[in-house]
Amino acid sequence: MGESLISDRLVPFRWLAAWTDPALLRLFSNGPINCFLFDRLASARGIVDAARAKGMETMEWAALGAAPFDQVKWNISAPQVAITGLVWPQLKPPARGDADAGPTGAPWIDSNTWVKRLAAARAPRRAIWLGFERPKDDATPAAAAYTTAIADSAAAGARWMVILDDKRQEGVATGDPEALRTWDAIIAALRFFQTHRSWNAWPRSGPVGVMSDFAGNNEFMGQEFLNLAARRKLLYRVLSRSDGNPSLEGLLAVLYLDREPPTAALQSRLLAFARSGGLVIVPRAVAASFGGGRPISCPVAGYEWRPLGQGAIAAATLDRDDPYFLAADVHNLIRRRSDPFTLFNAASLWEHYSVAPDGRAAVLQLVGFASRPYGSVSVAMAHSWRSATLYVIGSVLPTHLQPALVEGRLELHLPPFSNYAALEFHS
Amino acid sequence: MTRRSLLAGSGKALLGAGLLPRAAHAGEAPVAPVALARCSSYGAEMHATLRAMFDQIGGLGRLVKCKTVAVKINLTGNPDERLGYLPLGCTTWTNPDLIGAAVQLPGKAGARRIRLLESPWKSAEPVQEYIAAAGWDPAMFTRAADNVEFENTNFLGYGKKYIRFPVPHGGLLFPAFDLNHSYADCDVFVSIGKMKVHVTAGITLSLKNCFGITPCTIYGDGAPMDEPSRLPLGGRSPIHVGNRQPAKPAPPENDSSSPREGGYRVPRCVADLVAARPIHLAIIDGIEAQTGCEIIGPGARHVTPHLLVAGTNPVCVDAVGAAVMGFDPMADRGTAPFETCDSTLCLAEQLGVSTRDLRRIEVIGARSAGVVFDYRKAGVPRPRGGSLSDD
Repeated sequence: MGESLISDRLVPFRWLAAWTDPALLRLFSNGPINCFLFDRLASARGIVDAARAKGMETMEWAALGAAPFDQVKWNISAPQVAITGLVWPQLKPPARGDADAGPTGAPWIDSNTWVKRLAAARAPRRAIWLGFERPKDDATPAAAAYTTAIADSAAAGARWMVILDDKRQEGVATGDPEALRTWDAIIAALRFFQTHRSWNAWPRSGPVGVMSDFAGNNEFMGQEFLNLAARRKLLYRVLSRSDGNPSLEGLLAVLYLDREPPTAALQSRLLAFARSGGLVIVPRAVAASFGGGRPISCPVAGYEWRPLGQGAIAAATLDRDDPYFLAADVHNLIRRRSDPFTLFNAASLWEHYSVAPDGRAAVLQLVGFASRPYGSVSVAMAHSWRSATLYVIGSVLPTHLQPALVEGRLELHLPPFSNYAALEFHS
Repeated sequence: MTRRSLLAGSGKALLGAGLLPRAAHAGEAPVAPVALARCSSYGAEMHATLRAMFDQIGGLGRLVKCKTVAVKINLTGNPDERLGYLPLGCTTWTNPDLIGAAVQLPGKAGARRIRLLESPWKSAEPVQEYIAAAGWDPAMFTRAADNVEFENTNFLGYGKKYIRFPVPHGGLLFPAFDLNHSYADCDVFVSIGKMKVHVTAGITLSLKNCFGITPCTIYGDGAPMDEPSRLPLGGRSPIHVGNRQPAKPAPPENDSSSPREGGYRVPRCVADLVAARPIHLAIIDGIEAQTGCEIIGPGARHVTPHLLVAGTNPVCVDAVGAAVMGFDPMADRGTAPFETCDSTLCLAEQLGVSTRDLRRIEVIGARSAGVVFDYRKAGVPRPRGGSLSDD
């Protein structure tokens, strides 16, 4: 089974020190936000009391234990893990003179998806709250930028601790129309994800498990692999090396990332996985200890393919120090035909895929980072679902999509949407 | 159609004939007939049409029986970028049905082994995975004949070393190329181009398709100077702009003071390549294609010329291909489609590959006077709200 996502009740908002008028609580009437994070409760007593009177949860920032990822105390018993210092989710403009900025180059995207996925592996069954602020030089229209920020967190199963930039803080408080439109977009996005929070209880699905301790010498490769695998639309599950008995159910492959060998028990587990038909991908540093049969031709450069039982060991013959290339290798080793979906015209869309525990429903969430609408996205499906329904933020009614047969495969042709779309499938 | 009707259809071909200097090595150039056919769709109709065309040019058996056949397909651009909702095989890539037929028919004609070759952009990914990213099932091809293989020729691939291909007569840009072994380990080399215009080279047909046989480990941006990189690290902009020489020991270009301009360099490089690595069978997929540019991008428009062109000489095939696109194959720099570049057809002719002169090329097959499909006219954008498709 995949990681189980918590559907937490609280939707947090960082109350702004400049907002001293309790009347501003009207902004939250009947809205999804139900938890205010104050810098100091004592210095905002009037608002705190008024908020509590309206049934709002209030918390002091310091009590939250919020910390950058590498300083988080994972073992404390708080219901939330609050992680700060994260990136503002956005499409990064290509650097001037960047040779990779050609017409067929994939765009660079800042996302916190990997943070949430790794945090969920370290603190299972705790809500993950993410902290980041909009950069002052972000040129994306504010409403779209905030929608993407919320969607990037929510689609991954986390909460963004919503905080407004200075201009919107003031504008919302004074009734500026543009700021209020942005506020409405924020509320609409939060409301959407609250409405569909059941999706977060569905396990994440992906063909490959990524196993590492994601720390020390393995921190860079482990974390960047998770980040860049998403860029390649390689769906994965995080497997902690310290978990002596990780669930490998439903996986086609396990990538063992670390250069230190696994414990004997874990190695035995991985070899058993291979013998039963799985693929275990190992770095050169530990390749010898994994054994396997006599190598046969491997279509992916830099690997030996060693048959083992009904499966195989793919042993790197060279050290890979670029996590993007490693992600590409893994994607090719497990074969892209094992992807549950193939997306087209989706270079700046990131996908999140969850399957209901009974396997009879699934949701594919697409988070868009471009400022322009997505006009011609196609989704080719490996699985034959009985129905597909499209949900977008701000639309009251979902759209039922009819598949088209293209080159022998069923595809969905999505109508134009902005920033976010979800496809719910049923069999 | 007849040669005469083709010339009349292109409208400009005769105008250009005889106005250019005599090709440097044209006197020794072979000329081969070209099969031209209308074909309204991929699938069964295309399969039957292609088989008939192969018969018209002398049959495949004499060419491929008991031979290893290497087929260079055209997979330009990213596999997950489409023009609207259209699959890539209908716009920028060689259509998978056509590739399947180009595997199956040689297989039936007795080919011993068939290798599908391409150098996906900046990538060492297996070709079968690259096409899977476009939604294609590689089994479409491996089931079409016995002994079908794939190879990404953007790097060493399955080979142990690069193979040097000298350019006859010394070459226009490079004296020789170092290429993946698959271009040497074959008896028959097939180029399947897509009928497209090209921003740098004017048109891209079976000749220009061979630009992609150069490995980026040697000719790419990220290649070290002293030796090829193990994997491709960048695109082929050094060939476009001449900002660096190939990785050693591949020979450098002939004249490092020549223009550093794509319109000069790319056509010469292509002409050199097809002279160094001769094409035995050229096929142009013009059933559905794209105009405006060669990759998915601004200005790209879907077109449906419903045409197939095939022959054993790529210059003859591309000359006919250019003509049915509404261009004069005798045109040179300054005239459409070569407004800002030199003509690859002219340069290949200079290297003695063949002639682009339609008066010397026997065109077999379609007899419809309406076969010319004007790519420039089709490229005029429709008013907003119009369809992407343009017949």
